[in-house]
Amino acid sequence: MSRVAEILNIANHIPPFPKVAMQVMRMLDDPRVQAKDLAAVIQYDSAITANILKTCNAAYFGLPRKVSSLDEALVLVGQNILKDIIIASSSARFYQGEVGNGYQLEQGELWRHSVATAIMAKSISPHFRGVDPGAAFTTGLLHDIGKRFLSSFVASDFQRIMDRTYMDGVPFIAAEREILGMDHAELGSLILQKWEFSEEMIRAVQRHHDPLALDMEPLIALVAMANTLVISAGVGVGAGGLTGAMQGEGLKRFGISGADLERYLANLVLEMERAEEMMALSN
Amino acid sequence: MKLIVGISDMKIGTKPDDELVTYSLGSCIGVAIWDPVAKVGALLHYMLPDSSIDKDKAEQKPYMFADTGVPRMFKEIYKYGALKERLKVYIVGGAQVMDDSGMFNIGKRNQMIIRKMFWKNNVAVTKEDVGGAVNRTITLKIGSGNVRLKVSGQGEVEL
Repeated sequence: MSRVAEILNIANHIPPFPKVAMQVMRMLDDPRVQAKDLAAVIQYDSAITANILKTCNAAYFGLPRKVSSLDEALVLVGQNILKDIIIASSSARFYQGEVGNGYQLEQGELWRHSVATAIMAKSISPHFRGVDPGAAFTTGLLHDIGKRFLSSFVASDFQRIMDRTYMDGVPFIAAEREILGMDHAELGSLILQKWEFSEEMIRAVQRHHDPLALDMEPLIALVAMANTLVISAGVGVGAGGLTGAMQGEGLKRFGISGADLERYLANLVLEMERAEEMMALSN
Repeated sequence: MKLIVGISDMKIGTKPDDELVTYSLGSCIGVAIWDPVAKVGALLHYMLPDSSIDKDKAEQKPYMFADTGVPRMFKEIYKYGALKERLKVYIVGGAQVMDDSGMFNIGKRNQMIIRKMFWKNNVAVTKEDVGGAVNRTITLKIGSGNVRLKVSGQGEVEL
């Protein structure tokens, strides 16, 4: 089997995204759905239920009091936040263990990078007209899911990829594509496709390292900007370092200045401290 | 003891077996200072050059910014008997992604401000490793003053 076929074969055998999460997402788009209908579905996934309670009580979401039951949580938490919590607790299971080894990411670092990007994506979303903050959060959280499954292939050709990157000056992601026949952004988009996420989200994952991403449609630009900032902050960067280009010019059409970027970075540090419980979900 | 310095933080080491480390600098800058006589050292990990963009943050997290963090670090280490004339000073980090427009040039701005501050205050930099597109980790050993630098893709070396 060729390497690309081998990688695609792994992508085809990835477990489905939790059914309960997909079902709840659909229900949340229906304004007639009530908290008790949601509880009836969610209670069958014990991991999601436990995580909802854990994350609801986390400082990040700022609820006025501690919640102890699913019903109570669903009443107290707004629907938008509920979506984020469900997506985070459903995604965390894919980031457990030493999933970023091939990228020289320590255990938990790929998840930490993903949560930071999700938080950043959501906080910059008001600049991007027409982008739903929940979609921004979800795409931020899943943009590097391809790394999770490409990691072992990167590990087996690590030195060649590193030589291309640091001796020949080829961006790490381009070296992945050249040597493995597939890069993590492309693989990630195939996984999101298999999981039946929206076309818009699939494209944003696929293009998140494209140097012209900021000139493209809003969700692509948003995720690329969030990822670039989180990498600049050094959160979950790994072997690829800061290699690659991102043409910042495109941000101007969203009314975003260099000073804005710095303000968002300043916020990120505090928001990550408040999101410790979410960071711990993959443990 | 190993003391880990997080983003927007600073720590001082006073014992011979103390080891200060800050991971994954990206565009941020790590500043290590060490006094060979007082055998005391400090490590700062600042993220942004200028606190004027967010005064509240600067109050909560003075080590987030170069302009508030660097002077504060020096003041703190003087309390432990360090003298400015004796200090060995190391700066690492300040990497950035390639961007012709300069929007993402945070690494470069982080480098420029510390050079300016040090020049104004007559602080000589002993050694530095800044810029490029690499991710850096720096360690300062208090007993020996040994500074080690780990760069993505290049392994660990003495700075």
